[in-house]
Order: sequence, then structure tokens, then C-alpha cells
Amino acid sequence: MKIRYTQVLLVGAVLVLSACTSSPKTTTLLEQVRADYARAQSNPKVATYAALEMQSATEALAKAEAAAKERESLETVDKLAYLTKQKIALANEVASRKSSESDIAGAAAIRDQVRLDQRTQEANQARLNAQEAERSAQAARDAAAAATQQKNIAQANEADAQRMAAEALAKNQQLEAQLSDLAAKKTERGLIITLGDVLFSVDQARLNADGVRMVQRLATVLQQNPNRVVLVEGFTDSTGSSQHNQDLSERRSMAVRDALLELGVARTQIAVRGYGEAYPAAPNDTATNRQLNRRVEIVLSDERGVVSAR
Amino acid sequence: MKTPATADVAVSQAAVDNANSADGTEFAPAEMQAARTKLAAAKRALAAKDYKAASDYANQAQADAKLAQAKAGSAKAQSVSATLQEDIRVLRNELDRTGTQ
Repeated sequence: MKIRYTQVLLVGAVLVLSACTSSPKTTTLLEQVRADYARAQSNPKVATYAALEMQSATEALAKAEAAAKERESLETVDKLAYLTKQKIALANEVASRKSSESDIAGAAAIRDQVRLDQRTQEANQARLNAQEAERSAQAARDAAAAATQQKNIAQANEADAQRMAAEALAKNQQLEAQLSDLAAKKTERGLIITLGDVLFSVDQARLNADGVRMVQRLATVLQQNPNRVVLVEGFTDSTGSSQHNQDLSERRSMAVRDALLELGVARTQIAVRGYGEAYPAAPNDTATNRQLNRRVEIVLSDERGVVSAR
Repeated sequence: MKTPATADVAVSQAAVDNANSADGTEFAPAEMQAARTKLAAAKRALAAKDYKAASDYANQAQADAKLAQAKAGSAKAQSVSATLQEDIRVLRNELDRTGTQ
């Protein structure tokens, strides 16, 4: 029983001893470094940018692992583990730096492209602005040309108006000159030309030579002023029957109309009216006054062709 | 043993100087501090003719200094990269804004 116990103890001691020799020594720091190493190895940036530094770290880790396997002192293992740890960190930092430098190179290219885009945009904008300015300038020139044209038209119109006014004035002056030859009187009803008794044959409706000359002048006036019309009014004195006087006044006014028609005046320009012994120009008490009452009055319309009746 | 330890200390000194020139003190103060402390320890061990310790400290100081320099390098590159990305963002915004006018 006692022997067996000792045997068991011995076996146990041998097992412990063999475990100590076969399993490598490890430290907290070494385990931490192994984890650091695994992380760095799985970092693609480290693989890309810090292969050399990682190689150095791998060799350092191998030395630390070898020391641990050879059961060297904890201090020795930790010293090697520490160097490994710093080399892994170095690899990480170098990878980070080179990755950033790569980013910088890419970013610089992007920035240059963006700047170029900006310049392009500015140039485009400037071109658009220039085109817009040119359009505005052209519009202004067009507007100025149109204004000049309108001004010219207005001036031409004004000249026309002035010319027409001058022509109208000249025509009026001519008309007035002609009418003054006809001894026209200005009255409220308009201009009135009186053909006196002496221009007719005695008690006849026929115009004598002087009367015809007067009517010829009037015909000229009416032909030159087609807008004007005339109202031919016949009058007599109170001698004789009123029927006879009425007939005579009508025949004398119609004689004037016929003479005008013969001379080429339009029928629409002439109206006739006989008043007989009505509307005497003077009392019928003397031979002179009665002669004044025997007359034909020709009322000349205004420019619009309007003549006011008695 | 004497000559390699002396060489290790010299190499470490150079690594610390380089890291310092590369703004390691600014960007990786902990690593720089560790490197300087270990370099000083290596020099003390060398003076005490403990060449094994001198070599160990020198190797560690060198690893720390190199890491400090690498950290400074990566930090600077990241900063430049971020600045560029920001430039691009601003330029693109400007482009979009003027483009839609």
C-alpha cells in the first residue's frame, strides 16, 4: 500500500517533469505579441506596404518563440518578445504611412482634376456670359435701329403732314383768291356768292355773258374742291304774282345749276332752291332795292360738304 | 562582447537622434521617452562594462526610436491626406455651387 503510493507519486513527478520539458515556456507579453502578429498579418495594408518590416518582425518572433521553446529565462523571452512587439508596431506604422502617401498621390490627382473642372466651368461660364452680352448688345443695336427707323417714319409722316397742311393752306388761299374774284361774302351759313340781277336777262332765267363768266369761275372752284357742294338759292322782288316770282326764282337757280353741270361739275355737288319774293335783301320800295332783291345766292359748303339750310 | 555593445549603443543613439529630427517627440512622446530612458541605461551598462545589458538596452532603445519615427511619419502623412481630402471636398462644393448657378 505504502509502496504503491510512492510509485504513484513518482509517476506523477515524472509526468510533471516531462510536461515541463516538452511544452515551451510562454509569457503574457509573448502571447500578446502573437496576437499583435496575427492582426498585422491579416492587415492587407501591411502585406502591401510593409512586407520588409513584417519580415523583420517574423524573424524577431521566430527568435522569441525559439527562446521560449528552448526554455530560456522569462527575462530573455520577454526581451525578444518586446523587440518583436515594437517591430510589429513599426510595420503597422509604416503600412499606415505608405497607405496615406498613396492616398495623397491619388487625392492630389483628384484635386487637380477638380480644379481643372472648375477652370473649365469658369471658362464655360465666361463664354456664356460673353454670348449673353453679345446678344444683349445685338438686341440694343436692333432696338436702336428700330427707333431710328421709327423716327425716320415719324419725320416722314410729319413732313407729309406739313406738306399736306401746306398744300391745304395753298388750296385754301387759292380758293379764297378765287372766291374774292367772285365777291364771296363770309356769313354764318358760310361763304355766299351773289349773282345779281344784272347777270340775268331781264325777267329771264338765262344768264348773260357776265353771268356765264361768274359761273365758269365757280365751276373751276368746285372742280378743284370736290369736297365742297353748293346750294343755289333763287330770289325775286315783290313785283308780279308770287307764283310767277316763285317760278322765276326756281328757273334762275336751275339755270345756274345747268350751267355748272354743262361746265363739268358733278350733279351731287349742286342743290337748288327757289324762294320767290321771300327773304328780300332790301325793302322793295325803290327800283334800286328791287334790283338788289332779284338775285341768285350761291352758298358754298365747308370742307366737309355741309351747307346749312335757311 | 565589448565592440558589438559599443556599436549597438552608437546605432541606438543615431536612431534616437533621427527620430527626434523627424518630430518623434511631438508625435510619439511615450516611445521617445522609452527610447531615451533605455539609451541612457545602455550607456550606463556600457560604462559598467556590462556589455550584455548594454546591448539589450541599446536594441530596445533602437526599436522604440524607430517606432517613434514611424509613428511621426504616419501621423504626418495622415494629416496631409486629410487636408487634401478636405481641399477636394471644398473644391467640389464650390464646383457644385457655381455649376448650379
